[in-house]
Amino acid sequence: MVSAGAVGFEGIAINVWLIWIIPFVGAAIMPAVARAGRRVLNYAAVGFALASAIAAASLISFGLSGSEVHSQVSWISALNLKAGILADPLAIIMTNLVGWISFLIMVYSTGYMHGDRDLTRYWFFMLFFIGSMQLIVLSDNLLMVFFGWEGVGFASYALIGFWYHDKKKDYVGVEGHKAAGVSLWVSPTHAGMKAFLQTRAGDIMMLSGMFLIFAYAGTFGFKELIGDQSWAQQMAKQNLLVPAAVLLFGGAIGKSAQFPLNEWLLEAMTGPTPVSALIHAATMVKAGVFLVARIGPLFFALAAFNMTQFFEVVAWVGAITSFLLASQALATPEIKKVLAYSTGSQIGYMMMALGIAGLSSHFVDGYTAGFFHLISHAMFKASLFMGAGALLHTVGSRFMTDMGGLRKHMKKTYIFMLLASLSLAGAPLVTSGFWSKDAIFAAVLESGYSYSWALFAMATIVAVMTAFYTFRMIGMSFFGKESRHIEEMEKGGHHLHEVSANMWVPFAILAVGTIAIGVVGFIFEAQIHQLFSAYLGQYFGIHQPGQESAQPSVAPQGNRTFFNLNPIAAAASVGAFGVGGGLGYVFYIARKADPAIVSRNIITRGIWKFLYNRWYLNSALYWGSVIAPITAYRFVWKYFESAFVDGINPAFQYSMVYMSRAVKGAQTGITQTYLFVFGVGIMIVVMLLFL
Amino acid sequence: MIDILSTPILITVILGVVGLAIPVIDAGKRERGANRNKLFSGISLGAIILAICLILFRIFSGEISGSVVFSKDVLSDDLFGSFFAIALLIVSAMVAASSWNYMKSRSNPAAYYSLILLSSIGMVLIAYSTDLVMLLVSWELMSIPTYALAAFAKRDPVSNEAAIKYFMFGALSSALLVFAIGLVYGIAGTTNIGDAIHAMSSLKPDLVPIGLLAVGLFIAGFGFKMGLVPFHMWLPDAYEGSPTTIGALLAAGTKKAGFAAALRVIVLGMFVLNVDWTFALAVIAVFTMTFGNLGALVQKSVPRILAYSSIAQAGYIMIGFALAPYSDQALTGSLFHIINHAVMKSAGFIAAAAVASVFASYSLEKYKGLGRRMPITAIAFSISLLALAGVPPLNGFWSKLVLFGAAINSGSHVAWGPWLAIAGVLNSALSLGYYAWIIRKMYLEEAPDMTKVKEPRAIVAVLVFAIVFMVGFGVWYGPLLNFASHAVPDLATLPLPVHR
Repeated sequence: MVSAGAVGFEGIAINVWLIWIIPFVGAAIMPAVARAGRRVLNYAAVGFALASAIAAASLISFGLSGSEVHSQVSWISALNLKAGILADPLAIIMTNLVGWISFLIMVYSTGYMHGDRDLTRYWFFMLFFIGSMQLIVLSDNLLMVFFGWEGVGFASYALIGFWYHDKKKDYVGVEGHKAAGVSLWVSPTHAGMKAFLQTRAGDIMMLSGMFLIFAYAGTFGFKELIGDQSWAQQMAKQNLLVPAAVLLFGGAIGKSAQFPLNEWLLEAMTGPTPVSALIHAATMVKAGVFLVARIGPLFFALAAFNMTQFFEVVAWVGAITSFLLASQALATPEIKKVLAYSTGSQIGYMMMALGIAGLSSHFVDGYTAGFFHLISHAMFKASLFMGAGALLHTVGSRFMTDMGGLRKHMKKTYIFMLLASLSLAGAPLVTSGFWSKDAIFAAVLESGYSYSWALFAMATIVAVMTAFYTFRMIGMSFFGKESRHIEEMEKGGHHLHEVSANMWVPFAILAVGTIAIGVVGFIFEAQIHQLFSAYLGQYFGIHQPGQESAQPSVAPQGNRTFFNLNPIAAAASVGAFGVGGGLGYVFYIARKADPAIVSRNIITRGIWKFLYNRWYLNSALYWGSVIAPITAYRFVWKYFESAFVDGINPAFQYSMVYMSRAVKGAQTGITQTYLFVFGVGIMIVVMLLFL
Repeated sequence: MIDILSTPILITVILGVVGLAIPVIDAGKRERGANRNKLFSGISLGAIILAICLILFRIFSGEISGSVVFSKDVLSDDLFGSFFAIALLIVSAMVAASSWNYMKSRSNPAAYYSLILLSSIGMVLIAYSTDLVMLLVSWELMSIPTYALAAFAKRDPVSNEAAIKYFMFGALSSALLVFAIGLVYGIAGTTNIGDAIHAMSSLKPDLVPIGLLAVGLFIAGFGFKMGLVPFHMWLPDAYEGSPTTIGALLAAGTKKAGFAAALRVIVLGMFVLNVDWTFALAVIAVFTMTFGNLGALVQKSVPRILAYSSIAQAGYIMIGFALAPYSDQALTGSLFHIINHAVMKSAGFIAAAAVASVFASYSLEKYKGLGRRMPITAIAFSISLLALAGVPPLNGFWSKLVLFGAAINSGSHVAWGPWLAIAGVLNSALSLGYYAWIIRKMYLEEAPDMTKVKEPRAIVAVLVFAIVFMVGFGVWYGPLLNFASHAVPDLATLPLPVHR
């Protein structure tokens, strides 16, 4: 065990502190840098992101060797709270992922946000966002995680509503689209508010969970919590352990846009596309998964207290979300929303994997699968978002129906988006998406959880839908005839052109990266698996069955054969890609069949409408938590406030005025009266004294 | 023998010399006009500030002993007297300074300032008196100049009526005081307050009713000045009719002197009498604050509103008097509220004087749009009204807090104690009904003419001082509260009877 248990800011620990401090410092000085001109501003912003990423990279060798950096400084001494950073293998992988993808997105932003009026504000919040996310990743205690958590929430609110002038072109949704009386056509400011409030609901749960644990453990620190487990014993006695864990998970539900707090994610598309890439690929929504990955092993290590229910909640929330959002992605005409649905759905996969990990005896399998999927998703989804941003940038519309035939005009974008899409769809053997998804399938199948077949069935259907909507997206935007919108643009003398290099290079890197990982997918997976089994064994005492000795070895278990593949899982995965992708190919790329057949049949049309209206969940949310309370308050106002309270107030007022007039009336101005009262007064006072 | 260099004597000398010198200077000067007013205003202000500095200096140099309250002499140079002296002299100073503007076009400035100074001497001496005869003399020294001052606008029938009423009641109350002093002398054989209290603590049972009668008469006599219900009837007429600056002097100054006297004589005297006198004072307190606030609610003249408000404030102060035996904080709260009220109420009257000197009207209608027309006056007036209502973080809030807190704490001794706090809180809410009304007039309503008016400079200076005082001691109330709690007479020195 190599542990650099540095106390304070020494040695490598300083790098860890810097990873999250640098972006904050950068954000703070952005307004000052802005005076030096836009060029300098751009370079400075990207430079800070790069510096942070390099600091993260300096930890890689540390992380791969399985050691950790833990450093603390005293913070609130009265409560014995310490501020600290904890860079273990999990955090080191995550921080690099966040750091480097953020850096690429920052580079991309220099092209995408070119000429925007409020560039300073943009860079400020982007850097603030990155810093907060790194804080979440590197904190050694829940309280600091929560600080970062709120920072991310705040920055996302500001960035989603970045174009706060609410111009029509910045809206999301189809104009005039209403479901059950609730508009699905949403302005940026509204979307920002919605994201903020919905994630807040999760944050409150998280806060309660945190303090519940703190009340028993007296610490927020991860290391301290795993070190002395008497708090868990006490909580388990009171039946509070699972509720506290589920409350903590509530924070992850909000931040990762899982069911039932998933609705904000779709409207979050009102932000500039790099923001969407940052939120959906590297940072915000991953924060929830990361939190579960952080606390999951802790709760699993407390297996003595039967945490099954907690992991069941995690797995099912993940599975439901994944199914729900994948199905909705089938029917949306907006390219960024397809990706948004897909993000929620893929994160559902990750949650499912992490949940199933806790339900199986092979904790490491599910854990690795979930985290592997996080890595590969971060890469291909960031790439796809940036590609979609390139399309939006060129075409000037967020609707796929306004695109079409773009592969001739934007070759590079086409190629790299196709690569990333294949990874999302799970094209066998050569994409990272295939391997990570397969790992999840295998983990579910091998878990031994009694309802694993149901989870597996859902996951397979989701995979079919994923492949379908991915091909649909590619087909609608790059294949077929050019849309009327594009024809008009060209007629208007507008030449469709490829985006500049600082835009396409970032997503090209990621797209190539995802394929590169895919080619060596099985090795990569084995590496992560090994790393995590060592990590979990060393720090949490979680070992594979039959491997009780702390002797981490590669040897994967199970009945895996070819490339460690579980045959059923692999078959399902390949089959799903074939069916979904094939249908998508027929409808949208080869255009052999017209998607309009859906509307010919009343059942399929009904399904389409149901999906298009987002399962009416958004409407239910608004009716339940916005319209109904407001109606109730109006009712209270009308019948209590204005009828009852306002009815009493004048009565009070008039009675006071009446009494006041009586006093005034006694004040006659006649001195004799005054003297009389004076005399009576003396008598009364003396009598009072004699009482 | 009193030390010739003791504080009260020195103040008497300073203010007396200046007060007498002013008419002499006036007689010697040929030219007439506004300059004389300015000169006398400056001289009086200087004399009063000198007196305040003297007291402060003596306090900080440790020459003034703690609250001894009693002495064999007629005056005692103690912290209690000094506390009141400072509060009263601050009022006098504010009145003298604001008269720089207010008296500009009025006749006889020399007499005006001279009378203010002489009255101030009386107020200060009341605070220091430890002998009933000395107290009576000081009382008259304070009162008689104010009768003249109330009638100062001699061609104004309202002013004359006010002065006559004031004088009649003043004469009545003096008569009652003399009667009461006679009774005390009759049963105790002395006019020294300390000795009298000592003698009363061992009074023969058949003489107790006479002692009670004496106390009742003291309450009536001092209650007249304090504006307690039912001895308050003259007060709105007099305060409204007098020149507005004199209204400030009456409401904030002489009234407080009444409290000083009452504290020395009534409360301390009654400690030793075997009666449940606190309940009587509590009833008076509740009636006083309620009548004051109700009376103010529908008035249209601002000085009259302020007059009623000062009745109500007297009610709050009486809470502390009534609860003196039950809570350590009660008298501290009263003293704290007395000094706060002195500044708040003077600020209110002086703001009204500013408006009166510009628009020549007291009507509430004239205050419309004042926020734009006379911004400093309006803000100072608003702050003083809010402080009177007890809005945090102004000084009035803290003194009310101490008073009401004492009332709630006294619940363990007397069941009706907390009710005083409830009455006080309800009354404070009621009082906002007219305080906020004035503020609303000033800021939310528009006058037909919204042009900015030149604000009288000296008055602005006084008001700025008042704002600093009210906000400053609102935020940092510690020193003032500390001062008040040190000035409270040490009840342990009283010759208490067995039963208490």
